[in-house]
Amino acid sequence: MWWYVGKRLLQTIPVFLGATLILFILLKLRPGDPILNLAGNKPVSQEVRDALAAQYHLDDPLFVQWLQFAKNAITLNFGETFAGQPVFDLIKQTFPVTVVLAVMALAIDAILGITLGTIAGLRRNGWFDSSALVVSLLLLSVPIFVVGFVMQLVFGVKLGWVEPTVGPDWNIGKLLLPAIVLAIANFAYTIRLTRTSVAENLTADHVRTARAKGLSNGLVVRRHVLRNSLVPVVTYIGINLGSLMAGAIITETIFNIPGIGNAAYTAIQKGETSTVVAIVTFMVLVYVLMSLLVDLIYAVLDPRIRYV
Amino acid sequence: MSDIRPGQERYVAPIDETPLRAIDAVNVDAVPENQWKEAWKRLRTSVLFWLATGILLVIAAMIFFPSLFTGADPKSADLMNSFSPPSDGHPFGYTQQGADVWARTVHGARASVAVGVLTTIIVAVLGIITGAIAGFYGGIVDTLISRFSDIFFSIPLLLACIVVISVLNNTFPERGFWGSVFVVVAALSLFAWPQITRQMRGAVLEIKNLEFVDAATAIGASKMKNLRRHIVPNALAPVIVASTISLGVFIVAESSLSFLGLGLPANVVSWGNDISAAQSQVRSGQNLQVMFVPAAALAITVLGFILLGEAVREALDPKARKK
Repeated sequence: MWWYVGKRLLQTIPVFLGATLILFILLKLRPGDPILNLAGNKPVSQEVRDALAAQYHLDDPLFVQWLQFAKNAITLNFGETFAGQPVFDLIKQTFPVTVVLAVMALAIDAILGITLGTIAGLRRNGWFDSSALVVSLLLLSVPIFVVGFVMQLVFGVKLGWVEPTVGPDWNIGKLLLPAIVLAIANFAYTIRLTRTSVAENLTADHVRTARAKGLSNGLVVRRHVLRNSLVPVVTYIGINLGSLMAGAIITETIFNIPGIGNAAYTAIQKGETSTVVAIVTFMVLVYVLMSLLVDLIYAVLDPRIRYV
Repeated sequence: MSDIRPGQERYVAPIDETPLRAIDAVNVDAVPENQWKEAWKRLRTSVLFWLATGILLVIAAMIFFPSLFTGADPKSADLMNSFSPPSDGHPFGYTQQGADVWARTVHGARASVAVGVLTTIIVAVLGIITGAIAGFYGGIVDTLISRFSDIFFSIPLLLACIVVISVLNNTFPERGFWGSVFVVVAALSLFAWPQITRQMRGAVLEIKNLEFVDAATAIGASKMKNLRRHIVPNALAPVIVASTISLGVFIVAESSLSFLGLGLPANVVSWGNDISAAQSQVRSGQNLQVMFVPAAALAITVLGFILLGEAVREALDPKARKK
């Protein structure tokens, strides 16, 4: 087990360094003189120029600058926005909402997706299975922001069940509709994955043995089919956090939620590339750590993984 | 009964006179049905396949012959017509800017599908080559390619595209139709190839140890020939299915980028841009067709590609369907 943990931890390091390298190169590709950008495009005296270059390590070789960038990312030092606010402060203010939203979306995705997927898998090729297939294909084909607008229009504007937008004072009730929209993006995959996995496990030898020794259908499904079927589904849901964060940019923009996605959207609109890169770097950091965590949980759940 | 001859009491079946040797004979010259021919036989009878083909043919007609569908110019906008209701020849009315909604939807197919198709081709070629090399040669080459693809895989596609395009937007602010398409395609391809690499690598690993590869080696096929003639063609099936489905995903991704203001520039007629431009109408709850017509066109196109992928998957792997 510890050998596996060690191996997995070691694999994370090059991935993280590589990801920061890509982001660093992109940041460096921006046109213009970084010092003039910092000074608001006003002429700068040589002393100020030298001081700024020293402060931001602009004279170091690119390799050192990249390591500095990676170090800053780990120590959560993301520089400042154009307005002078440290980007990390911005992240600290906005990230909690996004975490709540993402966790709600994950929960909705997991509960609904696994339940519907299991029913579809148990009654394969029945009417429920067929309609679940059609609905999941339709959900896959419609962009999440269109789903968002439709939900906002129907439940927020026409029916008036919820407020169409969330605004600065958010609570869990207000976040419910956006969380459903965010969940829908992954929901279709979860249903299909659970369905295939359950249907495959139904014909497995150990399930036949369980039936042969006289267990009731409910017990067989719960103890033997579901437990084994859920391993790939749980991994998939965990990996989904990445797409949830990208989806959060869209969902938070539509419902005006003061989260990190909305902050990213605002920065994109203002053309603040360095802030965009900083926020995305943070999201990638969270994503890499989450996939590490998911893999470790996976190894605990499924002993076979540790020995591969 | 004429079979009963005089003197015979009841019917006796004639002796089966087929010589035994004829039964045992195997037609050695018959070409074995290949995987794709068999798949095509199954595809021909699949409703899903014809539905998908029908959808995609209509979309293809929209791209190559837009004048068959609409006579209006998608770029001519007259503010006098802002949100005018549908009229003769303009079945879905006008946008806020006074452009014909239907004409924009028909002409928008070109940019959206171009992004999807070009990205899929680049991603498939890159993924197939890297995946085949990694799976076939193994060892250090495999480790290098796998770890390298892990890096690109670790940044979620949409997030990566947001960064790449916001940087490129600053670098090349002015670019024409193909320039804009190229930027979106480049950003999507740069981060989407590892998925195909992983799939191809897995398929090659499975196939390279099968008996027919050993047989080819035994009759003297070189490593390269083995890879090209025997392994890659047999490993392509799952990759082609995944690519067809991801084509739809790329079209959706382009529209999401347009929604964020990072897709194709506003002067390019595309579904993403039209849906994005219509968002303010949805909040007011009026003139919904301005958004829903391009959104429906996009969803139907994506559905067409996903259905095509599903149909091909079923045709290539009939076992999966029967289970």
